Amino acid sequence: MSRSDDPCVIEAHALTRIYPLENGGAVGIRDIDLYIRNGEMAVIKGNSGSGKSTLLALIGGLDRPSRGRIVVGGRDLTTASAAELTAYRRTTVGMVFQAFNLLPTLTALENVCLPALLAGMAYETTRESALNHLRELGIEKLADRYPAQLSGGEMQRSAIARALINNPSIVLADEPTGNLDSRNGEIVMRLLADLNQRQGRTVIVATHSALADPYATVQITLRDGMIAQRTPCNG
Amino acid sequence: MQRVTLYLRLFVWFNGRQLQRHPWRLSAVILGIALGAAVFTSVRLAVDASLDAFIQSIELISGKADWSVLGRGARVPEDLVARLKGDAAVETASPFVSTYVEAQGNDLPPFLLIGIDPILDYSLRTWELASFGPDQTASWLDLIRAPNTCLLTPTLAQALQRSSGDIVQLSHVRQIAPFRILGILKPQGLARVEGGAMAITDIATIQEFIGCQGRVDRIDLKLKPGTTEADLRRIEGALPEGFDLERPVETKETGEAMIRGYQLNLSVLSLVSLFVGMFLVYSLVSLNAAARRNELANLRALGASTDLIFLLILSEGIALGIAGWIAAIPIGSLLVQYLLAAVSGTIDSLFVRVQAVTLGPDVSEILLSFGITVGTSLVAASKPARDATRIAPKEAMIIHGSASQTPSRARGLWAIGLLLIALSWPLASLPPVGPFPLAGYVSASLLILGFSSLSPPLLRIMGSRLARPLRFVGGEPAFLAGRYVREAGSRTAISVGALITAVALFVSLVIMVNSFRYTVSLWVEQTLAGDFFLRPSMAGLNEYRDALPDDVVRAVQGMASDVDILPYHRLRLRHDKTPYELEAVDLKKLMSYGGFILLEGRMEAMRHPLFRGEGVLVSEVFANRSGLSTGDRYGAQIGKAVLDLPILGVFRDYRTHGGAVYMDLKAFQTLTGITAWGGVRFFFKDRDRDLEGATRALEARIRRCCAQSHPLEMAAGLELRREVLRIFDETFAVTTVLLLIALLVSALGIATTLTVLVLERLRQLNTLAAIGASPGQIRSMVFWEAVLMVAAGELIGLVCGFLLSSFLIFVINRQCFGWTFLYRIDMGTFAVSLPLILAAALAAALPAARLVLRASPAQALKEA
Repeated sequence: MSRSDDPCVIEAHALTRIYPLENGGAVGIRDIDLYIRNGEMAVIKGNSGSGKSTLLALIGGLDRPSRGRIVVGGRDLTTASAAELTAYRRTTVGMVFQAFNLLPTLTALENVCLPALLAGMAYETTRESALNHLRELGIEKLADRYPAQLSGGEMQRSAIARALINNPSIVLADEPTGNLDSRNGEIVMRLLADLNQRQGRTVIVATHSALADPYATVQITLRDGMIAQRTPCNG
Repeated sequence: MQRVTLYLRLFVWFNGRQLQRHPWRLSAVILGIALGAAVFTSVRLAVDASLDAFIQSIELISGKADWSVLGRGARVPEDLVARLKGDAAVETASPFVSTYVEAQGNDLPPFLLIGIDPILDYSLRTWELASFGPDQTASWLDLIRAPNTCLLTPTLAQALQRSSGDIVQLSHVRQIAPFRILGILKPQGLARVEGGAMAITDIATIQEFIGCQGRVDRIDLKLKPGTTEADLRRIEGALPEGFDLERPVETKETGEAMIRGYQLNLSVLSLVSLFVGMFLVYSLVSLNAAARRNELANLRALGASTDLIFLLILSEGIALGIAGWIAAIPIGSLLVQYLLAAVSGTIDSLFVRVQAVTLGPDVSEILLSFGITVGTSLVAASKPARDATRIAPKEAMIIHGSASQTPSRARGLWAIGLLLIALSWPLASLPPVGPFPLAGYVSASLLILGFSSLSPPLLRIMGSRLARPLRFVGGEPAFLAGRYVREAGSRTAISVGALITAVALFVSLVIMVNSFRYTVSLWVEQTLAGDFFLRPSMAGLNEYRDALPDDVVRAVQGMASDVDILPYHRLRLRHDKTPYELEAVDLKKLMSYGGFILLEGRMEAMRHPLFRGEGVLVSEVFANRSGLSTGDRYGAQIGKAVLDLPILGVFRDYRTHGGAVYMDLKAFQTLTGITAWGGVRFFFKDRDRDLEGATRALEARIRRCCAQSHPLEMAAGLELRREVLRIFDETFAVTTVLLLIALLVSALGIATTLTVLVLERLRQLNTLAAIGASPGQIRSMVFWEAVLMVAAGELIGLVCGFLLSSFLIFVINRQCFGWTFLYRIDMGTFAVSLPLILAAALAAALPAARLVLRASPAQALKEA
């Protein structure tokens, strides 16, 4: 949970990312000014193509803006080198995707370990930590199963564990419930809220589902690549 | 260390398990690489073994000799030995005579009988009797004292089933004589020449046996330490005219250069399989990278660096290379047994005599094969690895990404392709590097690369223009296939390029071999005209040094009533360092039955001076190697006689040991004083009679009168010509095997590519199924894609192959062997083989077609 005097962990000024289309048009986001404080649970809403995923990709250091500036935790992602962005993705943010994006050739446990190993941690240490995360999420017994042997909810919980393995201060979730039934969607959203409320992490969820609404501290609505509305919530 | 552990762990998790999931695809690629690696290594090992056998024989025979005295077209007078020994710089001078002989009463092949002066020779060559003791000296002396005595190697003694004290009947054209075996040699030094198929006798015995009293093949010299150039000039200056000093190493170097050249040519051909195998690695690594595009994006999103991604994908190629190389070991060990016999046979026929070729471990060749196999796999994987590093981490957010199917337009490939093709022509005219036609091969590679570059634009055109017409032939699946091929762009280029390479090589080699065979068959009919041939036994092996005995000549002359007799004399000579044969024959009579396939000069204009002995005809090989041509003068020294005659024309000739020069027999006899007959050709005057029956009767007649006392070689013209063509076909058997393997590897390439294309758009294909396409229609679509790709590959490969065949015939063959052929296309072979290749390549599409709709569309759509 954030307080109004908490510093901004994410600041964006005139943030623009344009993807030109072959027919001459363009999609993306334009001139977005964004401030998210430390410990907030921000829910980004909007229709398909409104720019939610694009904004999340820019915050996650997965893409670079066409123009404008974005600073996360005091680090200017606009001018960061590729290596700095890689390090940023390893340490600062954890990502949860709609399609779970678990590597099919890795077991659930190995998938969870992967970011820590990429960050240079030893497997033995990482393994313990990964099992703890899986235990907390209630899927410890499934650790040695491959993604194809898991249900959608189990896969998304594995993905959340993976997002947490490097203990990031920011968790980004792109349509985390999009591929889940309502029961599993509810469970996953509660888990994300728990990360925010109990562990104090900044959580940003891009979704058009209403499941996230009860937990949001701030709701940002995008329309045609621009912020249409920003609503502080009580959470 | 931690980085290495991480890399290894990820490699096992990410790459290893992915490869394990598709064992058949993995096996096909490993098999392709293994075949290429096995062919490459086997060829080199087989040629190396022949080269080792050749070098070992030359070195063992040369011993410690620094120089040899040789005669030009004649043997060396033995009395020179004493004069040479008298020179202050000469430590030892030892006479040497060798000839191939046969042992009567068994089927053993001819073996070498070496005649030496045992006392003079002992300091030059290593040979020792196996039995030590008081009798050893006696045996030595017996070799000198007792005529017709010899020492056998243990190998030969065992083959002949003889031991010390036994008698063995040896035959040479002059006589068949008994030889007493004085002792058995230790299996070392000289006794290892030709794998032990040799015997030693005294110089006087061999001279008496083969009828060259007072003359020897050469005199080997060992000079004193500190001998100067001036000493050498003095020794050479003291030699009579027609005799030269030569280093034994020159023979070795000339032979070695020819074998190395042959090895390079075969290596290039065998590299084709490895090259095509490289396409396979490219296909599989690309497939794995493309199929896991989203996973790679995920890895990037989770913090993997581009270097790590590059290394992981590159490692996949390296792992395939290593696995292929390991799998090549059993394949290669089988293949090398076949190639050893075929390659050593070809070297024996074409270049130098090699016997008793055995394989030995060769660490450098094994390392080379490992390096080239893994190196080509690494090169093949480097592009997909580079492409993988360009996958943006943001693609991790694309749920069912279409980024992997972005059409590649491959703009400008037309221009690049045409430029490479245009460059290949001027490059081909550059001279060779030593015996290796480097420029020829580079230009051939440019040609193949150029034509391969044309495949994406051609596929695009085919896809655009043929899609609608195909709809009438194959319905909607054919139309969709056309559209897909149009959009696939350069993605299919690599695999179609592999097919183009294989087809182009197939077409060009078929044209070359067919042209070659056609020209050789014309040559044997013309230049090797004759109903019956007679010459001394082992004449070829003994380099035509022995003449037909006088009583044989007299008997043959008595047969002239119903046959035309064409005596000839043949000499093995050298022009600079290039060996060639000078044949003197009654050209007027020869041309009335056969003739020459002329490359330069008109027969009408040269007929009279040629028949009068006022000029010579030289072969294309001789002209190319000597740089002499029509209008130049041909010069040679034969003993004391000097030949200096104008070259009247150049003819095609395909004898295996270098070039040839023809002159009239009478003029030769007048100029050199040599009247002996080296052999005889017979032509029946009555051409309407039963020629086969007459040939048999003639042979029986000669056997009755002469063959009892003189070993002779007799051959019916028809059989001889058939034998030449048999040797020709055997020579090209190796080429055919290499080519078939290249075609097999390219079929594997097509199978892998189609599988790639199917797997990459499994979702698309299942969507088609979901909207009502039947499994048959979807398989038909995949089949039509294969048809278009294979048709493009064959079409471009065919055109490329025709151009390449010109390179092979007029550039590479000319530079390697000195000959060219009449260009001839055997449409019959293509009419059969090209549809077969098409069918084989389409058969390779079956696994891909079967892959489609393996699971239910709903399941596939859910998982894709």
